[in-house]
Amino acid sequence: MSAKAALSRLKRLLGSRCLTDKLSRVQYSYDATQLQYEPDVVVLPESTKEVSEVLKIASKYRIPVVPRGWGSGFTGGCLNVRGGIALSLERMDAIVSFDQENMLVRVQAGIANYRLQEFLRPFGLMFPPDPSSWKFSSIGGNIAENAGGPRAVKYGVTKNWVKALQIVLADGTVMEIGSANVKDVAGYDLVDLIVGSEGTLAVVTEALLRLHPLPECVKTIQVIFNDIQKAAETVFTIMKNRIIPTALEFVDRAAINATREALQLDLPTDADAMLIIDIDGSKAQVEEETKKLVKLIKGSDGVVDFKVAKDSSEAEELWLARRSISPTLKRIADGKINEDIVVPLSKIATMIKKTQEISRRYRLPIINFGHAGDGNIHVNIMYHKDNNDEKRRAIQAMDDVFKSVLQLGGSITGEHGVGITKKDYIEMQVGTPAMELMRRIKKAFDPDNILNPGKMGL
Amino acid sequence: MDKRILQAVEACVKCGICRGVCPVFREEKQEPFVARGHIALFAELIKGNIDFREETSKDYLYKCLLCTTCVEACPNDAPTDMIVEFARYHVIKHHSLPLYKRVMARVMKSRTLMDLAHRTSGLLSGLLFERIENAPREATRVRFTAADSDKMEVLPPVKSGRSFIQKYKTGSLERATVAIFPGCLINYTYTDVGDAFVKILKRLGISFMVPQDQPCCGAPIFASGNLKDAEQLAKRNIELVEKLNVEKVVVLEPTCASFMIHEYERLFMYLEQPEWEKRARKAAEKIIDPVKYLFHFTQIKSKLNQTRLKTTYHDACHLKRTQKVYMEPRELIRAASNFTEMKGADVCCGNGGTFSVDYPELSKKIASRKVKNIVKTDADHLIVGCSACMMQLTAALHREGFDGIKTMHTLELLAMALEV
Repeated sequence: MSAKAALSRLKRLLGSRCLTDKLSRVQYSYDATQLQYEPDVVVLPESTKEVSEVLKIASKYRIPVVPRGWGSGFTGGCLNVRGGIALSLERMDAIVSFDQENMLVRVQAGIANYRLQEFLRPFGLMFPPDPSSWKFSSIGGNIAENAGGPRAVKYGVTKNWVKALQIVLADGTVMEIGSANVKDVAGYDLVDLIVGSEGTLAVVTEALLRLHPLPECVKTIQVIFNDIQKAAETVFTIMKNRIIPTALEFVDRAAINATREALQLDLPTDADAMLIIDIDGSKAQVEEETKKLVKLIKGSDGVVDFKVAKDSSEAEELWLARRSISPTLKRIADGKINEDIVVPLSKIATMIKKTQEISRRYRLPIINFGHAGDGNIHVNIMYHKDNNDEKRRAIQAMDDVFKSVLQLGGSITGEHGVGITKKDYIEMQVGTPAMELMRRIKKAFDPDNILNPGKMGL
Repeated sequence: MDKRILQAVEACVKCGICRGVCPVFREEKQEPFVARGHIALFAELIKGNIDFREETSKDYLYKCLLCTTCVEACPNDAPTDMIVEFARYHVIKHHSLPLYKRVMARVMKSRTLMDLAHRTSGLLSGLLFERIENAPREATRVRFTAADSDKMEVLPPVKSGRSFIQKYKTGSLERATVAIFPGCLINYTYTDVGDAFVKILKRLGISFMVPQDQPCCGAPIFASGNLKDAEQLAKRNIELVEKLNVEKVVVLEPTCASFMIHEYERLFMYLEQPEWEKRARKAAEKIIDPVKYLFHFTQIKSKLNQTRLKTTYHDACHLKRTQKVYMEPRELIRAASNFTEMKGADVCCGNGGTFSVDYPELSKKIASRKVKNIVKTDADHLIVGCSACMMQLTAALHREGFDGIKTMHTLELLAMALEV
């Protein structure tokens, strides 16, 4: 029995940190998709060496290995869809080294984004990627999914801040890729290949990250429109006028209504859309940009109301409506399909219109909100879980949404990744030749297909 | 099963936000020791996919402080504490309770047995316990420890005198403005805290009574999942509150108060006794924390004088989160002393009732983080509104060599500030 032999070797390696009982396997069977796939064994390594040993055993016996961070993903990236080993890196959460002068930090993959930011703040530094899950997602997970966040408009996404990685290959080989150098063009950029590879090519155990000074000042502005098309056009106008906000978030009518009710917020009832804009930088810079922005908003069509936050607590209030949407959606229906599509900035208005048509066609509420500044929209199709007809229509509606996105030259995912929930659409987006190339890359890294099999359509 | 329990399970969307706030997870770094894990486990338990007893649970479900930090952080308000409580009940309904918890329940159900235990330990105190000199608060430790003598536990003082109830007891029907329910820790060990409250009431001219037939509230029994024994105590307490001729029932211990205010109702929901659920809700309207009472219903604030103490304040979970009492103590402490807010004031101290007995090492690790934040404020007095936290943090400060920082109950500070 090879499985038995593998298991006893894992037990010998990790002792009580190798879990095979039913109770423990349940605890590592889910993520934020709420789907469940039980692994056969859970391992909790505490060093790169242990990760390497686990992979040596797994490759010898050809057992699937699924790396896992904080389990907060939205596409099932860390689920053991084919059983095997759940490789949880949650105990590897140390800050390995910190170079304040060169603004670099080296961390283990299991550290939460939040803990890292907490460590950096007293030094006046930050790690710019800020996925909405920043308080409960790991850096390893952020790297695997190439996560973005509201600040991506100005600061880019995870890959823009990763300098080097320590990775473990499927056969257990440990290697360092990338470097601390600002300029470095020696060979293929393997770091960029690993970032966003969803654990299908290698296990990331450590990362060298570039940091940025915390902005001196942040200003928040809320603008309310009576027509969502006008809001979308304004987003485009803002960017065209070379104002680069830190964040440019947008919320549609249904979401405004849901949060107004849930939180008793003072929002106009004729509001069709809302923009929340953050500008950061030096004091002078922020003041000048705010002035420019206010002038621009005043000249825009369809503006019902706008507010500039006087201080951080007012800013927090303005943000509250945006941050509270996800949980308040339950008030509309208990089921939702939530996808993070992206379209070119100039196509946001068209895309919103399309989702409204789709909503009417399938007779289901669709709620849109998200990071308008980078064209990333969270489309939420709402349905009742106990109504099979609604559920079926919701799946069809999402299919139409994806098709529209691709027609407009967009992407099926801006930050959540492909995982299992979007694996049937990736080929439609990237095309068969690119998909074939990806399969060959996967094979080069992982000939026996043991690393996170069944993901990304590979 | 009440449908509210199933709704509680469904409220969790597995986002993982609880992992960032849970004090137990911060130390253990494993999914089974966080709200999302508990909820997932319970969902499988009620589906019948898994089965375990406390002894075979691998501490899952049990290594939880019930501090409700996750409930506060949850965007969907998933009541993890409710799920953990009910899950523990579910487990012992199918299997039995560990022996020591059965004995504990037996003693706690009877005031006579508890008084007896108190008297016995009081009589033997000189023999069994020794005073720790210069601790952050009057404290003792066991003279002889069998196995691990390096783990000299710091305990509250063992009093040989009368308990708080014996000292102030009145008939149950006596008319007064407030009734005082001390809670067992103040009744038997931290009687000074109870005395301080009595002193304040006298100073403010507020009449009070202390019903002599008040039983234990049942919180520790309930937390172990032993709902049947807790039920008896809850009913006796509700009946007592119903017949009192007072405006408010002041429950000095936050754990007892929040248990009587919020959990009695839940207890009867779990047991599917809607009539009693209603009576519990009604009785809860009368019950209040002493500091909240003093702040909202008396003129204490205008009578406080500044003492010279440099203070900081620790939020007890059962004050801040369950009773939403955090603004009141701060305003009063500010008026009575030189106050500095500490970082993470509302992070659990790690006591968690029987948690500190079941998982002493983990409990100490959690307390240790708190000590760092206390020390940073440069305060000479740590003010706490809960005896259990006071016991935990007194021990932690002593263990880490900070005997110079004294621990004091909010009521003791207020009594002092009225005298200056």
